[in-house]
Parts: sequence; structure tokens; C-alpha cells
Amino acid sequence: MKLNLTIRQGILLLLALFGLLIGVATFLTVRYFWALDVEKEYLDDRDDMVILASQIETSLDDNDVDPFRFVETTARIQAKDENFSYMLRDSTGIVVSPTFMAGKEIPITGFQACTKDGRAGMAKVWGYDCFVIFYPLTHHPFELVAVYDYQYVFGDEAETLRIFTFQIIALFLLVALLTWFGIIPALERMNERRNRAEQELQIARTLQLKAVTHDFPENDPLFDIYAELQAMKDVGGDIFLGGWVNGKLYFVVGDVSDKGTAAAFMMFMLSSVIRSRVQVGVPLDKLMGEISQLICDNPDYEMFCTMFMGCIDPDTLEMEYCNAGHTRTLVDGEFLDQDPQVIAGIVPNYVYHTQKKQLHRGAHLLLYTDGVTEARNEARAFFGETRLQAWVKDRPAGASCRDDCASLLDTLAAFRGKAKQNDDIAIMSIRIR
Amino acid sequence: MKTTFTETDGRLVIAVEGELDTDTCAQFQQDIAPFMDRKNLAVELDFSKLEYISSKALRVLISFQQAVFLNGGSLKITNVNDTVHEIFNLTGLSSSFLTE
Repeated sequence: MKLNLTIRQGILLLLALFGLLIGVATFLTVRYFWALDVEKEYLDDRDDMVILASQIETSLDDNDVDPFRFVETTARIQAKDENFSYMLRDSTGIVVSPTFMAGKEIPITGFQACTKDGRAGMAKVWGYDCFVIFYPLTHHPFELVAVYDYQYVFGDEAETLRIFTFQIIALFLLVALLTWFGIIPALERMNERRNRAEQELQIARTLQLKAVTHDFPENDPLFDIYAELQAMKDVGGDIFLGGWVNGKLYFVVGDVSDKGTAAAFMMFMLSSVIRSRVQVGVPLDKLMGEISQLICDNPDYEMFCTMFMGCIDPDTLEMEYCNAGHTRTLVDGEFLDQDPQVIAGIVPNYVYHTQKKQLHRGAHLLLYTDGVTEARNEARAFFGETRLQAWVKDRPAGASCRDDCASLLDTLAAFRGKAKQNDDIAIMSIRIR
Repeated sequence: MKTTFTETDGRLVIAVEGELDTDTCAQFQQDIAPFMDRKNLAVELDFSKLEYISSKALRVLISFQQAVFLNGGSLKITNVNDTVHEIFNLTGLSSSFLTE
């Protein structure tokens, strides 16, 4: 991000320099065409050029005339008419040079050819910007024939050109300044705000992952249990909890009917309630009723939650479970008989009941949210229960539950192909050793 | 997703065609919004051409039903196909929505 900004600054700075270049180039180009004009006018009608025109002997020779090269020279006025005096005027027509007579030397410095043949150009004569033309005579290689104060000749236009050039340069400088002091800090602030928002979301995400169980008992002699959460946005409403409580293995998988931050809030609330209520030994059916009531009592959330809760007694391996409109749990690749009970949070004071299922050593349970079965591929087909059942039946016998979760997520990603994930996904795999 | 509304003597039949999934249910919510605060409205949702319904769309249906009930009306869903029926069964909503 830092790098991008530096590149952006660079580009804008280059833009400003480019503007400066355009300004200067325009100035020089226009002046060049003016030089051509003056030369042509002089050749057409020498008598009309009135400013300072005479025959002036110069020390320039052929070799010195090099277009676009600065030439230092001194010219001597060699007028035919000895009584004629010469002077320089500035752009307003005011005489700015001392009157000088023919035969005097005129210092010309910084000659800059404007025309291709190098005979016409700009120079400083007595320190004044003047327009100068050299014209060949028969007995001299070059002769300074005219020294014009170009501002005098082009007066208004020169002023316009100067203003125009100044405006172009000023415009680009303004853009550069605005960029430097206005746009870039604004972008930086925006960037900072976005980074902060991202950080906050990252924190929320971390907290959410902590709200679901992540420290499943590893190397437990009785059970292997593991779960994974893949939220569609940064945070989501899927929930799972699992672990030993009061000598029984409890596990919960739920799906809050929304996505994003609001669902995550609800999910936080539910997970804390479940944790604390399970600890004090509230039966699953009663707990489900409490959860449902809790959601009903907070209608502002406009949510509901499907949920499956279960607990296994390690001595009898009997599973007691309670289902509130959740997806069908797979036990050894077969769908568990789940009585249809209403989703939690819709019907106030709904009374839930539990069911029982005898499990055995080596049994495998797969719990999931509808993000799994309702994952869609590019052809908009669902992953579906059939594919999920097939995946369970194909899973290697000795696979750990951690491997199960990773493998199912991979399978889902492969199924989706280029299609985007359309729902939060939670998977819980449990194996009795 | 396409919805067709037919209203005769305070009886409103809403025929829903296609899929009510996460993407289309916002549209559905907008379509039914004008009927949310109507008094004594008997609503029949004809799902004969509905192929699929997502959990998010269920939420929309539930809040619609609640709004209709609160305004003294009634709401039932008819002609559901097997897939949709299965979803209503699974979520325990069949008793409150389906009459057959």
C-alpha cells in the first residue's frame, strides 16, 4: 500500500514536470515562428523595419553559425549613413539604451538561434532581450543587419505569450501542489481509515474464531473431534462448540440466518449462553428452548438460528440430541433421524424435545451448516446431500477429524470451481475411537 | 425469480417462479413489501413453480407471515414441490406454513 502511494506521488510529480515542459516548449515554439515571420518580413520589405536596422559588421563567420548554439560576439555598427543614430527600445517603446553612433561596437551576448539556418534569433544587446538577424553580404561572411527589440515588435503578443506560458506552468504547478498537499494526504487518510476498518474486522474475526471452539481435545483416548469455519465475509453467523463438560462430550453446530457483523454478534451471544448453560447441566431440550426464546426476545436482530446440539455419554456411547431445523447429521454416512422441530427464534415459548441414538466404537459423525449442501458450482447446481453422503462414504477409514475438515473444504472448493462461496460454511467431524 | 400477484376480494395469490435464494430474496422482499401492512389480507403463496428456497428467503417468509397475522390476515403456502417440502420439513416450518 505504501509503495502504491509512492508510485502515485511520482506519477503526479512527473505530470507537473511535464506541464512545465509543455509551457516552456510552447514558449520557445511560438517564439521560433515569430522569428521566421520577422525574417520574412525583413526580406520582403527592408525599409519597413524601423526599430533598429542598419548594416553592422560582425565577427561572425560561417563556422560560428550553428543553430541552437549560444554565440558570444561583438558587432560593430557600420552604417552607410554616418548621421544615423541607433537605440534600443523596450516593449513599451521606451528607449532603454544609450544612443550610439555608427561605427561603435555593440556587445551581443547569449545569441540563441531561433531559425534553422541560425541567422535569426534572440540575443542580449547591452543586456536587453533583442531579436537579431544576420544577413550575408558579398564582402563579409555575415553581417548584422538588424537588431530588433522583439518585445517592441511583438509587444502585446509577447505579453500574451508570456501570460499564456505562465498560466500553463501555474496550472500544472497548482495541480502538483494540490496533489501534494490535498489529494495525497486525503488518499493516505482514506487508506488509513480502510486499514483501520480492516484491522477491526480482523479483530472481530479473531474473536469470533475464539467464540467457537478451536481447542478441541487432541489425543483424547475416547473421541476425535474437530471443526472448521469458513466465513463468506470476514465474520459470519456459523457457530460450533465442542468439548468435555461434566463427563460428557457436548457438541453444537448452528447457523444464524444472516451474514456479516450482525450475525456474528448474535452468534457471540448464543455461544456464551450455550457454554454457561451447559456447564450448569441444563438439558439439551430446555437449552434449545432458552436459545429460541433469547432470539425471540431480541426481535431487533430479525434473525433466527438453526441448531443441532448433541452429547455423548462415554460409558454407554448413547447420543442424546436436539434439532432445531438444522441440516441432517450424517452418522456413519447415513442421515440421522431428526424430528422436524421449528428453527430457534421463530415461535416464542416453543417446547423442544430430544432424541436418542445408540452409537458404537468407531462411529463417525459429520455435522455441518447449509453452506455445505447449498454450495453451488458454476452451473448453479447444489453440492447437495447426495454428494456429501458420497464424500463421507469415500473418506479413508483411519482419517483424523482434522483431515476430514480440510478434505471436505477442498472438495467443496473443487466443486465450486470459479463460482464464489455463497454462504458461511461450518463443518464438524466426530469419531469415537 | 418471478412473482405474479393476483388479487380478488381481499384474497391475494402470489405465484413465485424459479429460485428464492440469497440473491433473489431481496427482490422478493421488495415485491411483497406493499402488502406487509394491509389489513385482513388472506395470502396464498403458490409455490408450484418454485424450485428452491434458501434459509434467508425463509426468514423473509416468516416476517411476512408475522406481519400478515398481526394485521388480522392469514397466510398459507400451496403446491410445494418435493425439494421445497423437504426444506420446510427440515426446518420444522411445515406445520405453520403448509396446510396439506
